[in-house]
Amino acid sequence: MDSVSHLLGGFGEALSLVNLLWVLVGCLLGTAVGVMPGLGSSMAVALLLPVTFALDPTAAFIMFSGIYFGGLFGDSTMAILMNTPGQASAIASTFEGHTMARSGRAPQALATAAIGAFVGGMTASVLVVFLAPWLADFSASFGPAEFFALAVFAFFATSSILADSALKGLLALALGIGISVIGIDGVSGAPRFTAGSPLLFDGISLVTVTVGMLALAEVIYVACRERFDPDRAPMRSSGRPWLSRAELKEAGPAWARGTAIGLPFGVIPAGGSELPTFLAFGLERRLDARRKDPQFGRGAIRGLAAPEAAGNSTTGMAMGALLALGLPVSATAAIMLAAFQQYGLQPGPLLFDRSPDLVWTLLASFFLAMVVLLIINLPFAQLWAKLLLIPKPYLYAGITVFCGLGIYATSPSVSDLLILLVIGLIGFMMRLADYPLAPLIIGMVLGPLAESSVREAIQSADGSPLALFEGPIVWLIYALLLAAIVFTVATRLLDARSRRRQSSRTEG
Amino acid sequence: MSTADTTPENTGGSIAGSGPEAGGAPAPEAPSEAGGEKEVGLLAELSVPLVLAAFALYLLVGLVTMDLPEGTTFPGPRFVPAIVAAGIAVLVIAQVVTVLRQRAPLAADRVRPAGRDETEGIAGTVSRRPGIAWGSFAWAVGGFAVFSVTLPFLGWVLGAALLFWCVSRAFGSRRPLLDVVIALAVSSVAYICFDMALGLSLPSGLLGGGF
Repeated sequence: MDSVSHLLGGFGEALSLVNLLWVLVGCLLGTAVGVMPGLGSSMAVALLLPVTFALDPTAAFIMFSGIYFGGLFGDSTMAILMNTPGQASAIASTFEGHTMARSGRAPQALATAAIGAFVGGMTASVLVVFLAPWLADFSASFGPAEFFALAVFAFFATSSILADSALKGLLALALGIGISVIGIDGVSGAPRFTAGSPLLFDGISLVTVTVGMLALAEVIYVACRERFDPDRAPMRSSGRPWLSRAELKEAGPAWARGTAIGLPFGVIPAGGSELPTFLAFGLERRLDARRKDPQFGRGAIRGLAAPEAAGNSTTGMAMGALLALGLPVSATAAIMLAAFQQYGLQPGPLLFDRSPDLVWTLLASFFLAMVVLLIINLPFAQLWAKLLLIPKPYLYAGITVFCGLGIYATSPSVSDLLILLVIGLIGFMMRLADYPLAPLIIGMVLGPLAESSVREAIQSADGSPLALFEGPIVWLIYALLLAAIVFTVATRLLDARSRRRQSSRTEG
Repeated sequence: MSTADTTPENTGGSIAGSGPEAGGAPAPEAPSEAGGEKEVGLLAELSVPLVLAAFALYLLVGLVTMDLPEGTTFPGPRFVPAIVAAGIAVLVIAQVVTVLRQRAPLAADRVRPAGRDETEGIAGTVSRRPGIAWGSFAWAVGGFAVFSVTLPFLGWVLGAALLFWCVSRAFGSRRPLLDVVIALAVSSVAYICFDMALGLSLPSGLLGGGF
């Protein structure tokens, strides 16, 4: 019951007028970015990261949590009204959600999505409140070998298990780790890869890399690779934005099932909420096929409710894993981790002991963010769709100006802006050739942790690398990783075989 | 409604056009024309391994020339970078071989909606053009480069406005004068919000009466 009293203390802090304002600002920004097609919450967090250094840490993280969850709420709005998911986690919502909207049930679809996201996020937040302190206690016994194993798990899970091409994922990861070793070595004090220039003594700032890779590269890419269809407009939704009792009865179990599917994925570094949303959607479709009159394909409310709940429950749990273990499971979480590091805080077992005020205020603000998001999304979804009226040239020009602003504000020098441009160009090339960016960010954020723990473990064992493979927790983590790799390879082989059989059948 | 295959020729937009022919490089979207575009795809696929190979080389030179402080024991500052450099070298070779042997269309050649692929039913307001609009590329990248170099001299309000103007041009905006007004408005508002209200320090430059 300790958690409850801590949480109440957190609410006391979070309910102050200033902090409420930051929750609101974060939620508005997150929803706005989520609504824009093609912009994800990772870009929003990356862009705002430098600017928030002017705020105190609590206010900054409260705002981040609003953006983090707001992106998901906003995404589903556009997925439903325009069939354009802003990021991968909203794709599953488009199938039945947009079908519902087309058959004249847009308000109900929006309500189903918003309530689903609310249910998933709330459940996850409650679980995090009780689980995270326990998880932090548990991980307090972790030594360098355990942390190294966790980092390796995150590396491989994001770079090779989820990526379409394992080679590309690993290359991106290696680049991220490689960038992180530039600068003065923290253990020995030796300058590394600085080419003799004092500019690089502090290394390349993580802020510069995230802004360059996620925002500037995106702007360059969109400018010369995509074209816009100005004639497409979001569907009008009119009528009651509330669900009837029959609809609630229909969606209720799906929300619950989606939440249950999404929760475990928050603690597994499997790249965020894309996978659980598809799993939840697939389960609902299979359940639906057994019913007397299958609804799927005609705008099934369950096919929308489940993935929405799953996506947000994963996102919520991911924050728990980040706070308690210091383990980011997606690019957005990795940037949040970077934000903690910028304030000199290290998420993980010690955070709950060292800065309990910040942690519990942040957890309390999750609940507030959920309520605020439900309020600003449920009745006003149609209003948000108006954001699409901002002409694309001005939207992207604004994003670019913001990139420059953020970098120049954190380190006012021409050379940092030029480094940003170079990183943006590399990011542009990577995007052009379909390289995943999440492994790069995670490699860069977790690289220093992996390096210091590997060196510490080997050094304390007098140079024996076997020290990295000792202890039951370490074995468990590697066993899980191995199982995941075997599972991925097996499913890919099966996929390839069935595809080959299909193509040979059509040819023959 | 579901697919956006029609070529948008926007001239009558209410505020600004976001037509496709930014930078004077119209790209008719015909899959049959992919013959010339293959080059772009191969270039894109090989450019990343090339950059990474250069990076591995940089790491290697750094490893050789690194000054080790006295009394460094085994897993010293060279340990992890050496693994990373070796890893990149192996992966780059594997990736280049994969690309050269690949028969399927390369990533940059595929013309598909921005979401996922058609089988998943995603079509958006955006569709990809084959190839690269180099005009847009030049406006966006050149604009940012000029902004970076001239910022301390021009100051935030003028410099950011210049950047805004260049990028909106890269995105196909064709109303230069209106763009200038909007660009100055955006950069001034940013200056007021972030420099004056939030206390970030942005350069005042020319408008501040000196630099």
